[in-house]
Amino acid sequence: MRFAYYPGCTLKTTARNYEDSALASARALGMELLELPRWNCCGTVHALAKDDVMHYLAPIRVLVRVEDMNREGILEGNYRLVTLCAMCYNTLKRANGVVKEDPDRMRKLHDIMEREQPYEGKVEVLHLLELLREMGFEKVAERVERPLTGLRVAPYYGCLLLRPRGFGIDNPDSPRVMEDLIRALGGEVVEFPYRARCCGSYHTVERKDIVAEAAYKILSQAREMGAEIVALACPLCSFNLSERQDEVEREFPGFRKIPVVYFTQLMALAFGLGEDVCGLDQNHVDPRPLLRSKSLI
Amino acid sequence: MGEERSTVTIYVMGKAYEVPASLTIMKAMEYIGYRFVRGAGCRAGFCGACATLYRKKGSYKLEAALACQKVVEDGMYIATIPFAPAEKRTYDINKLRPTPNVLLEYYPEIARCLSCNTCTKACPQDLQVMDYVQAAIRGDIEEVARLSFDCLSCGLCAMRCPAEIVPYNVAQLARRLYAKYLAKTSEHLMRRLKEIEEGKFDEELKRLKGLSREELKELYDKREIRV
Amino acid sequence: MAYPDYMRRSIEVVEETRDSRIGKEFPRMTPEEREEVLREYHPDYREGAKRRLRIGPNKGDLMPHEVADLLEAHPLVTPEEIDLSDIYYDVDVLVIGGGGAGLSAALLATESGVERDRVLLVTKLRLGDSNSKMSQGGIQAADGPDDSPVLHFLDVMGGGHFANDPDLVEVLVKEAPDVIRWHEELGVIYDKNPDGSMVLASGGGTCRRRMHSCKDYTGLEITRVLMDEFRNREIPLAEFTSAVELITDDRGAVAGAVLYNMETEEYYVARAKATILATGGYGRLHIQGFETTNHYGATGDGIVLAYHVGARLRDLDATQYHPTGAAYPEQIVGQLCTEKLRTHGAQPVNRDGELFVHPLEPRDVEAAAIIRECYGRGKGIVTPTGMRGVWLDTPLIDIIHGEGTIERRFAAMLRQYNRFGIDIRKEPILVFPTLHYQNGGVAINVRAETSVPGLFAAGEVSGGVHGKNRLMGNSQLELYVFGRRAGRYAAEYARKTRLGRLTLDHVLRYERWLKEAGIETNRRAPILLPEYRGERVLTHRIRLF
Repeated sequence: MRFAYYPGCTLKTTARNYEDSALASARALGMELLELPRWNCCGTVHALAKDDVMHYLAPIRVLVRVEDMNREGILEGNYRLVTLCAMCYNTLKRANGVVKEDPDRMRKLHDIMEREQPYEGKVEVLHLLELLREMGFEKVAERVERPLTGLRVAPYYGCLLLRPRGFGIDNPDSPRVMEDLIRALGGEVVEFPYRARCCGSYHTVERKDIVAEAAYKILSQAREMGAEIVALACPLCSFNLSERQDEVEREFPGFRKIPVVYFTQLMALAFGLGEDVCGLDQNHVDPRPLLRSKSLI
Repeated sequence: MGEERSTVTIYVMGKAYEVPASLTIMKAMEYIGYRFVRGAGCRAGFCGACATLYRKKGSYKLEAALACQKVVEDGMYIATIPFAPAEKRTYDINKLRPTPNVLLEYYPEIARCLSCNTCTKACPQDLQVMDYVQAAIRGDIEEVARLSFDCLSCGLCAMRCPAEIVPYNVAQLARRLYAKYLAKTSEHLMRRLKEIEEGKFDEELKRLKGLSREELKELYDKREIRV
Repeated sequence: MAYPDYMRRSIEVVEETRDSRIGKEFPRMTPEEREEVLREYHPDYREGAKRRLRIGPNKGDLMPHEVADLLEAHPLVTPEEIDLSDIYYDVDVLVIGGGGAGLSAALLATESGVERDRVLLVTKLRLGDSNSKMSQGGIQAADGPDDSPVLHFLDVMGGGHFANDPDLVEVLVKEAPDVIRWHEELGVIYDKNPDGSMVLASGGGTCRRRMHSCKDYTGLEITRVLMDEFRNREIPLAEFTSAVELITDDRGAVAGAVLYNMETEEYYVARAKATILATGGYGRLHIQGFETTNHYGATGDGIVLAYHVGARLRDLDATQYHPTGAAYPEQIVGQLCTEKLRTHGAQPVNRDGELFVHPLEPRDVEAAAIIRECYGRGKGIVTPTGMRGVWLDTPLIDIIHGEGTIERRFAAMLRQYNRFGIDIRKEPILVFPTLHYQNGGVAINVRAETSVPGLFAAGEVSGGVHGKNRLMGNSQLELYVFGRRAGRYAAEYARKTRLGRLTLDHVLRYERWLKEAGIETNRRAPILLPEYRGERVLTHRIRLF
């Protein structure tokens, strides 16, 4: 099955390991994720203020590209757009929802986009996790060659995969999609209360202290609940929970670093796609000693 | 469009003139009596010296064109843009590396791109300007080079950008990085350079230089043509 | 601006014969036939098109009237107007001209021991505005596995009718691969195959495929990279500043130039230990009324300045007419339709859809044959503005090489015609020869020195490299080979030079020459820019028949 796929800027730079492992894992499951031939920033760097038209241009134009792919015959009647980055997912999905509900706003956008292909509102924005759930985790389990036996994984969602209500991929109060996936991969799930707490987001630029504190709380709780490794689905969460562990270590004596990986890396590992595809060398807190100790690599 | 007329009225910086309908903006201005010092270059659509903005009477739309490539139309208000105040960063290309963030480092303002696509609509070469700015943001140097290759640096995108980006300067850096660091090297070129350095052709060239015109002509006529 | 009905009808005839022409080659001419068509129809061979120069070191040499008119004109400035003690710029190396040769010279001067701020580049338009930037087809360098600089040497000499300076040609062909390397290190994107090898194409008069290209924007790509590098190094630059006269010192060596601010109309004195002419050619003189492919500033200033100080010129009797300039639509008349179109299979055909010449005769023969078809045989199309032309059947390119070829390899051409409602993938284009290149110029040696000390020259302004006829892709090459040399050797010369007292005595001498030859004229030169105001802007009338 072929799907339009939107990578987002970060996956092309600091989160290459996320993209590489995701594309390979999807392929292993018979899904071909076709990168949009033309795409721009999802628009997340601009606020989605209620009365702002201008800032919807970026996400809507990305959705037009999916319709373009169908027009040009790259895809046939498949208007589902798969995303990986939680931020991109959230921005695209919300913008899509807003303009579909609001013909007036859509008309204004088309006025601004004059001479460009208008958006017909056909696209559905998905996160890869949703697609996996739809396919069925038993199918995922069938594909596992090297189960993550004995690996205690804490899934972390952050905000943007779950909120606002109605736009998330799962129940914001008790999500289970990542938990189900990890079980399907043969790992042990460690549930912890802070799994949907904010990582500190863009405070990481100006207020490292806020992020360090958030990271400390989230990670030490996961550790306390027995986790050995954290799995997540967002490059910014990843940065805040990995790179910022250096600050956490300095600020909070006694803190022990914990590896943080993308869920797709665990998938690729369990599918036996090889260390290269997993890109484990690119994770800031090296997960390889742990994985080696469990004979997983 | 109405029926064809032999002359049209254009407004050069607001002043009305009647000019032959077949002329380009550049030639129409010369016909009127302007002698360009600025605003004319190759006169063939290769140099970008004659960037021009115009609006048609009765239309809200501001259009962009090269004066040497755009035919006058009735009711055009014409303003030439012979210079774009664009900031170019300086760098030592030998000290840069084609890292994903190098374009952002030298031109951080590209992150201000709103994806409004006005640059693309202003481009007289019909390039996907916004797409290459977006590729620059995500560090895809090769894509920036590919999409921007036909750019003439006329300045129109920069003059229209609400985020005040100068796309073509970013693109110039990307193209140089691509050629220098990302494109594959040509083995046959390297081999030939070595042969020349070793003097492989010196003797033969010296001999040819010493030949009479007739001897040389004979060699020339007899040379094998393999194309 | 799509074709008018009567032209459409002729296109239909062309379309009818197209299938029968595929794979068919019109026979090449015999040497006798070539001679005949050249004699009778090539503008260079036309009786009365040239005259013998009456003054200076090249007295007696034949050259076109338009060129002789400039060399037999009064200098633009008189010594009384200029205060030589008021030195505005004082530098080691002055580069006049901002195209490929000038940029290369300035870069190399700074790399050869001259302080960055002891170099000055002046150009009468913007930096980079030049014919260099407009080159489409490519640049020659014998780096192919089955090629060699020796073969390149033979091609250049034969193409130039063996009138070239063999020492210059040797340098040209030997340094060609190094120029490509230099470009790539600076960041020029050459067309390459997936394995990194160069895409090499053939060109008129080459015995191997050795044309390197950057799509059909070769000159643009190279020039803008050099411009970017020039700006990065922050080398002093004066745009919209032309050189109107050279300055000599009391020993007769060139010692800078009188500059003219094109906008404020002020003169500046620039004193320089070494001066490099990189001013390009003379296409905008519209020799015999021909339209031209050249840029706005190609008014032959350099040969005028050089001749004023007594530098020897050469081969100015030979002018290159490119066989295929646009003849329609009016807005682009004279602009280049690259030779690459014909190397890719586009055939010249007359108004009845008939072949009449092999598509790859030497440029001069091809041009003469097209003129004969239009004027001798009356088989051309006359445009609404009175231009004549024959069809160049471009749709054949996609038919022969597959759909998408034109889009990929001829982006500039496709765009150019699209702007005027003509799709060259589907419709032929109307062409007629156009004034393209100044084959001769200021004589130089391998150090880019002219016959006057302190004066260097490189690029189209210089003569000797191409003899009587330049081959496609060798002008781009010449710019960088001799531009770099000019920069290097001018820097070396400047280090050893102590200037004497500045003078404009040569201007007085020139006036004396004019007087002694009995030349009475109101003309003044250099002209700096062509005059197109009013009716002059309408299509030039070719003065052939």
